[in-house]
Amino acid sequence: MRQIFYLVQKEFRQIFRDFSMVRILFVVPLIQIFILGNAITTDVKNIKIVFQDQDKTPYSREFINRFVHSKYFKITGFEEDYTRLSSYLDSGKASLAIVIPRHFQRDIVLQKKPDIQLLVDGVDGNSAGVSLGYITDIVQQYQERLIEYSPDLSLQVKNIRRVETEPRFWFNPNLESKLYIVPGIIALILLIITLFLTSMGIVREKEIGTLEQLMVTPIRSYQLVIGKIIPFSILGMLEIMISMGFVYLIFGIGVKGSLLLLLFESSIFIISTLGLGIFISTISDTQQQALFVAWFFMIFAILLSGFFIPIANMPPVIQHITRLNPLRYYIVILREIYLKGTTFKDLIPETLAMVTFSTCLFFAAVMRFRKKLG
Amino acid sequence: METDKAVSVSKLSRHFGKFIAVDEISFEVNRGEIFGFLGANGAGKTTAIKMLCGLLKPTSGEATVAGFSINSETAKIKKNIGYMSQKFSLYDDLTVKENIEFYGGIYGLSREKISGKTDQLISELNLDKMKNSLTKSLPLGWKQRLALSTSLLHDPSIIFLDEPTGGVDPISRRNFWRIIYEIAGSGKTVFVTTHYMDEAEYCNRISIMHKGKIIELGTPTGLKQKYNKTTMQDIFIHIVGRN
Repeated sequence: MRQIFYLVQKEFRQIFRDFSMVRILFVVPLIQIFILGNAITTDVKNIKIVFQDQDKTPYSREFINRFVHSKYFKITGFEEDYTRLSSYLDSGKASLAIVIPRHFQRDIVLQKKPDIQLLVDGVDGNSAGVSLGYITDIVQQYQERLIEYSPDLSLQVKNIRRVETEPRFWFNPNLESKLYIVPGIIALILLIITLFLTSMGIVREKEIGTLEQLMVTPIRSYQLVIGKIIPFSILGMLEIMISMGFVYLIFGIGVKGSLLLLLFESSIFIISTLGLGIFISTISDTQQQALFVAWFFMIFAILLSGFFIPIANMPPVIQHITRLNPLRYYIVILREIYLKGTTFKDLIPETLAMVTFSTCLFFAAVMRFRKKLG
Repeated sequence: METDKAVSVSKLSRHFGKFIAVDEISFEVNRGEIFGFLGANGAGKTTAIKMLCGLLKPTSGEATVAGFSINSETAKIKKNIGYMSQKFSLYDDLTVKENIEFYGGIYGLSREKISGKTDQLISELNLDKMKNSLTKSLPLGWKQRLALSTSLLHDPSIIFLDEPTGGVDPISRRNFWRIIYEIAGSGKTVFVTTHYMDEAEYCNRISIMHKGKIIELGTPTGLKQKYNKTTMQDIFIHIVGRN
């Protein structure tokens, strides 16, 4: 027991020996949360749009007005020359062009179904799809208004209503991607800090020869492992609190659920990153190698976590692989606690999965570590 | 199991795949002896010493260190030996004092004992002014003496030194050997590998390893007489060249 105390004390002395570690602990989360939180957005706003109004009637103007008042669109101009419309899309001055045909108003009044032409820049398929959705909405509202004010239609017809949905989005009513992304970033920071510190910390001792020196002392390898884990988990927990602080200061996003539960779940997650770090240290001889291997694992953990790419969109085989990824569960848990205030009862499946994989990974790594040390 | 042999090795081998690093070596080291382990680079010295310290499992054979088997009692061996390798084994980013405190703690010394030992070592090594400086700021010779002292914190009966004076200037080397003599004088056994032939002269007995085997073993004087040479260097070149 006392040996472990001395190991932990030594580790903390080394970590805080120079200022660089403190800088890493504070600056990494600050930059990541600030930049990624603002940059990673799936919101589609300010879609640049160019109009060609060949009709120039009250009806067409009313139609255009609906775009003017929408926060999703930004009108960049009106073009008279049809042949020049495509140049707007080519140069990126607009990503959307709408052509209102001549006799738009007349056709509507005569109930002759006018056709509107849409030209969409489809390079970014996702944004194109989203903007199309917005346009459909606007057209539908316009149509409803036409029906309502049509003098020729009987009251009976006017009162016919199609089935309509009126969605209310819970937990994130404005569908801000920030709210969704930011808890994920906290998970990433925790992953990066604990994984890199552990693997590099152990390999460094291998490199300078102190690990060999420790192995000729009566110290047992499990004590050595514990002596490494304790300081790094404390740092991890510290890091998560620093990150949550920044998230609150920068975005005003606070934890809806129990802070204690969040820390508890985080500690389970940390077991897996420490385990992976120990494993990496057993297959690397130099810090560069450890860095490279840690990077390799990190990329997979992040890409297969559902942070950027929704897991439901992945091929079934890959979806099954993501089940082995503790980060996948941890991100879900963080989002749930952060945004919904979900209680432990509803997080049991994720927690169990995380406990299982974390402990398996951890013990496999420790076994390998002990075997390697002989 | 008490014996007058500090180390007793019998047909000890270690293979790495097809490569035989240590090939059925047998020898004994007496208590209180300075035993030199000579050999060219890659002769198998380090592999042999690592097996004796419990860092490496032997492929076959048996050895006892301080009376304990290297096959089954490595935990007991580790309590009774000190080890200092050619790699510098202190923490560069800890101060002199912190290094001593750390290794004292690892060896399970009590808090009072650690602080007593720390003061003693620092005054013995004349490190009073440097005790709160980072270890990396010490000259190499001092670092090595400090490393040697920390490996003796738990008062082991045998100390293994694996090329302890590599890269050190001649004066520091001589000082270092003075300490080794003091250690042996206090009744401890010193097991040292080196490839400096002048250092071999300082040993009570030496063994010469070549390609995993011990090809010669005896006192420096005895070997000089046997081969009719005046220096260890000549003997080494003669024997190793012959093989």
